[in-house]
Amino acid sequence: MEAFDALLAGFGVALKPINLLWGFIGVTLGTFVGVLPGVGPALTVAMLLPLTAKLDPTGALIMFAGIYYGAMFGGSTTTILLNTPGESASIATALEGNKMAKAGRAGPALATSAIGSFVAGTIATVLLTLLAPLVVDLALKFGPAEYFSLMVFAFITVSAVLGSSTVRGLTSLFLGLFLGLIGIDSQTGQARFAFGVPELLDGVDVVVLAVGLFAVGEALYVAAYQSRLTETMEKMSSSIMMTAEDWKRSWPAWLRATAIGFPFGTIPAGGSEIPTFISYATEKKLSKHPEEFGKGAIEGVAGPEAANNAAATGVLVPLLTLGIPTSATAAILLGAFQNYGLQPGPLLFQSQSELVWGLIASLYIGNIILLILNLPLIGIWVKVLTIPKDLLYAGILVFATLGAYSLHQSWVDLLTLYVFGLLGFAMRRWDIPVGPAVIGLILGPLAETQFRRALSISQGDATVFLTQPISATFLAITVALIVLPWIVRRVRRT
Amino acid sequence: MLPSEGGYAGIGPNFVPGVVAAGLLLLGGWLTYEAFSGGWRNAPADDPRERGEHPFHASSFGWISAGLFAHMVLIGTGGFVLAGTALFGCVARGFGSTRIVRDAVFGLVLSLAVFLFFVKLLNVGLPAGWLAPLLGVAGI
Repeated sequence: MEAFDALLAGFGVALKPINLLWGFIGVTLGTFVGVLPGVGPALTVAMLLPLTAKLDPTGALIMFAGIYYGAMFGGSTTTILLNTPGESASIATALEGNKMAKAGRAGPALATSAIGSFVAGTIATVLLTLLAPLVVDLALKFGPAEYFSLMVFAFITVSAVLGSSTVRGLTSLFLGLFLGLIGIDSQTGQARFAFGVPELLDGVDVVVLAVGLFAVGEALYVAAYQSRLTETMEKMSSSIMMTAEDWKRSWPAWLRATAIGFPFGTIPAGGSEIPTFISYATEKKLSKHPEEFGKGAIEGVAGPEAANNAAATGVLVPLLTLGIPTSATAAILLGAFQNYGLQPGPLLFQSQSELVWGLIASLYIGNIILLILNLPLIGIWVKVLTIPKDLLYAGILVFATLGAYSLHQSWVDLLTLYVFGLLGFAMRRWDIPVGPAVIGLILGPLAETQFRRALSISQGDATVFLTQPISATFLAITVALIVLPWIVRRVRRT
Repeated sequence: MLPSEGGYAGIGPNFVPGVVAAGLLLLGGWLTYEAFSGGWRNAPADDPRERGEHPFHASSFGWISAGLFAHMVLIGTGGFVLAGTALFGCVARGFGSTRIVRDAVFGLVLSLAVFLFFVKLLNVGLPAGWLAPLLGVAGI
């Protein structure tokens, strides 16, 4: 019941008119930017971060919760109408969503995705409310060794286990870890890899890295390889009304997808890509109309979209309770916390209870705003999609450079941004995932701090990570994750 | 060289950089090995046409880079609005636009709107640059 009281207090914070306004602005902007083709949730959050520079932390974080949800929803609109999934979590939606749009059923596809996102988002937020205090209680027992081992686990799942190639995922992670080392060492004050450039002493800002990789890199890539292609957009059918049949087929899919998506979000398993595909496969298997799959089955949109949102909410559990981001977007959100000198984790629930619970309460409210806003405004979001590519990317880069420049008012950050843009281009061209680099940048320094703290406590005895039972368990699971797939492949071959 | 004194932990600020460097070297070796033994695994096709794209368009790449460098140089002198306009025009050009006047107008309007929004509403300082007298006359 303690959590319930805290949540009520949180609603008191989130329902203040000014915070409600920030939530509303966040959802609107998040949807607007998220709809833009080629702009995923991570880039949306990174580009809109400078907007909150002068807000108080509570207002800023509430706005961010809105942006996060809005960006997710905006992305699915683009996926359904354009068949260009902005991120891997939308690929499953594109399979059926775009087919529905081609068959003139874009309206119901967008409706089931919006309502499904609402249902899944709300249930997942309830689960988050119930689960967070439990994880906090557990996390309070963690020492530096446990944290470090948990971070190693997160590193390995997001880079080595997911994606098309273990080695390329790890390469991305280590690039991020390297970038995270730049700047002043938090333990000793020693400058590392700054080469005497004052702008680098602060370290590499997560906004500059994310915007460089996602916006500048993407613009360079699309211009160089896709700018002379023509794209077709599916027309919006007149009505977004779902038939009784649509409802009957969507409901179970939403609920099943929530059950799949939320747990995947909470364990550090790289966000929502896997649950959306599991949900798609489940719906295909259970459907009474399997013949419709591949031609526009509504369950194939309802499921993955709901799974995506449930997982996106689940990701907030490790982010808020442990301070561990498990997706690129969550890493940028963590960066936003750090800008205010806040470190998410069990202690934040005690020291900044109002802020944390205000944020959680605003997730409930954000979901409602999203539903109210999106169904009637779908027509406007569809118009946004028709912005020609040349103007679209030109506008994106104006915002991208603004974010980098406003950090220190220095052209050095713009040069860094361009260098990350070149890196992003190369990573896109040779299929090196960018998410692990962003997570490595943010989580690397935290992991190093915990590592060195653990060793200080044990007087330099490195076996501490193996002799503490919780820490040893995390490391054992990590090793199993790497070794097991390899053994399975070996066994299958023979 | 980074100092290595470690206090109680026994490791100093140079330890983790060493681990990361070793990791990068190892991964570099692994990627090189893959490249020489049948190419990177599960990688996209080398030929852009097989990926459903057109061949590398160097001038597009060049225009966008030029736009970002022009922006870098201009922002400290010409100010945010002019730098943004130049960037906008170059990027649009890189994406194949030939309507220079339209792009310049769009870029100017967008940059000015963003400038006013940040400076007036959000109180975030951005350089006015060469347009400072003009913006001043307009009461901005």
